[in-house]
Amino acid sequence: MIHVRGLSKRFKLARKRGSKDTKLQKIKEDPRLENRHFNAVKEVNFDVEKGQVAGLLGPNGAGKTTLLRMLATSLMPTAGSAEILGIDLASNPLEIRRRIGFLSGKTGLYDRLTPREMMTYFGTLQGIDASSLRRRVDELIEQLGMSDYADRRNSTLSTGMKQKVSIARSLVHDPEVVILDEPTTGLDVAASEQILELIKGFRDDGRTVIFSTHHMHEVDRLCDRVVLIDLGEVRFDADLQEMKAIDSSLDRAFLKLIGQEVTYA
Amino acid sequence: MLKQILTIYFKEMKEVLRDRRTLLFMLVLPTLVVPLLFNFMFSFISKAEKKAKTETLTYAVVGAEYLPELADHFANSTGFESVSLSSADQIRPAIADGDIKLAIEMTQGVATGFAEAKQVEIILYYNNASSSSKARERAKAVIETFNEQVREKRLHALGIQEETEQASILEPCRVKVIGTADDREYLGERLGGMLPYLFIIFAFIGALYPAIDLGAGEKERGTLETLLLTPVPRNRLVLGKFMVIFTTGVTAALLSLASITVWLLTKGQQVKGTLGSVISTIETTDMVLIGAMLIPTTAIFAALLMCISIYAKSFKEAQSYATPLNFLIIIPAIMAILPGVELNWKTAMIPITNVSLAIKELIKGTMDYTFLVAILGSSTLIAVMAVLFCSIWFNREEVLFRE
Repeated sequence: MIHVRGLSKRFKLARKRGSKDTKLQKIKEDPRLENRHFNAVKEVNFDVEKGQVAGLLGPNGAGKTTLLRMLATSLMPTAGSAEILGIDLASNPLEIRRRIGFLSGKTGLYDRLTPREMMTYFGTLQGIDASSLRRRVDELIEQLGMSDYADRRNSTLSTGMKQKVSIARSLVHDPEVVILDEPTTGLDVAASEQILELIKGFRDDGRTVIFSTHHMHEVDRLCDRVVLIDLGEVRFDADLQEMKAIDSSLDRAFLKLIGQEVTYA
Repeated sequence: MLKQILTIYFKEMKEVLRDRRTLLFMLVLPTLVVPLLFNFMFSFISKAEKKAKTETLTYAVVGAEYLPELADHFANSTGFESVSLSSADQIRPAIADGDIKLAIEMTQGVATGFAEAKQVEIILYYNNASSSSKARERAKAVIETFNEQVREKRLHALGIQEETEQASILEPCRVKVIGTADDREYLGERLGGMLPYLFIIFAFIGALYPAIDLGAGEKERGTLETLLLTPVPRNRLVLGKFMVIFTTGVTAALLSLASITVWLLTKGQQVKGTLGSVISTIETTDMVLIGAMLIPTTAIFAALLMCISIYAKSFKEAQSYATPLNFLIIIPAIMAILPGVELNWKTAMIPITNVSLAIKELIKGTMDYTFLVAILGSSTLIAVMAVLFCSIWFNREEVLFRE
């Protein structure tokens, strides 16, 4: 379903004057820096089978977002290859985009459109015909409980409502693979809960899901397998049970896997 | 392909039309500002001119006793009011304080010279910094009528009585000046530089806000990536967005043009004098041609603004990049006002300057229409190149995901 082989991403760093830029300072101390190039993701390999939910873990700056952006085709790899649903990422990105749904916690909405207009817009760009699209939009509104605000401007919606609209947007073309980058970031407990239930629903629908998160309870609740990356390289790639075997607490197991000292019981 | 471009176009237009700021810059300002500006300008000019011609001028004559005939002549002229000053030292402070508008100074030499029928020199003081002041003009007219009377008396005393005989002595070679420029050309040269500047600024302002919103705004809101992940090739995304920015810029430019046309057809006909007759000679065809030339120029603005917007990380950054571009646009627009800069095959190739000069020529009524090919061709070519550049830039990760 998703096969990643030696996938790498190398960024050329822009010349910046002055040394006060804290981001630049951090990069300067990062071992991935090499002759004004930054190896954000380095020779990553992993597989996710059909219907599985895979959790992508890693500390901040590990390369999770870059990796997911490559899988979603918004960034092109500098080396290696990846196949999603048997389609090669580098040679046929448009076809991949037709078959995947992508959502990030940072994804925004068009404030001056309504959720219905937004779903219709993205559905049309996906090439869905008008009558099927109308049905699909109604179905998503019903399924995600958005009837009360489907025709209200996005600017008037709460954070939780907005995240639902983003999910609906990413599902409008009924993708077989869903890629989620920290989908619960910034959400309150109730809104996060709804998102987690939706991800669970994706698995029940037979969709393949890969999502990045910092919350181990989400991993415990949803994931079949775990891919952990640190400094752009895969440190652990196995079933969830194997991670639990390292330590019964997933937080402690995570810290052990990235080589951090566990200072609490 | 077209369906995808149109889907993007109509969605973006829907958002643009729901935004008050864009509506203000695209529809309201171009429609209202130009006629209001023209009304204000013409009523101000005519009021100022009327006031300068008819207001009572306060004046002083220092040394009136040396040539009382001239002092009396001033006193008997209408529109002048005498103020007495005791010495010549008070003249400059009195003019500076606004107590008097002009002063005449005469000395002992004037009395003796005038008595001996010689040419004498009197001094006229006035504030030459005031451009609207007619003090010098009106004082010289009074002195000239005095000179005429004295001249005639002296010629009579010399036995030269015939008017033609007098003229042959006073002006042996008379020059008859014929200006080949008609009133339209003369006034068009002076006023025609301002109009293109207005149209060009409105085209730019109309495109500015949507351009920033459609590129940097999308980045800032986090919606650009979702758009990039649709199965739509990026050059089509660029074309769809470019068309929206172009539409808003053209709408603003054409609305400002239309509002001027309406003003010329209605209020403009009421303007009296030479200016009024010049306004009535500007035809609707001239306005249509101006509109046609503004279209490719607006396309250049739309493409440049879009490049800036795509490159910028945020709305604020895009605004800071667009400000110097604003100056870069004003400079070639202003070139049309500079003396000696004329429309020729070279200037017809310079974007913005070519349109400014051509609009001035159209208003003057001296347009050589063969230049239209060069103006439209060069502007269109530059616009196409700018869109292509934009498209290339939109495919670069380091531009789209600058961090």
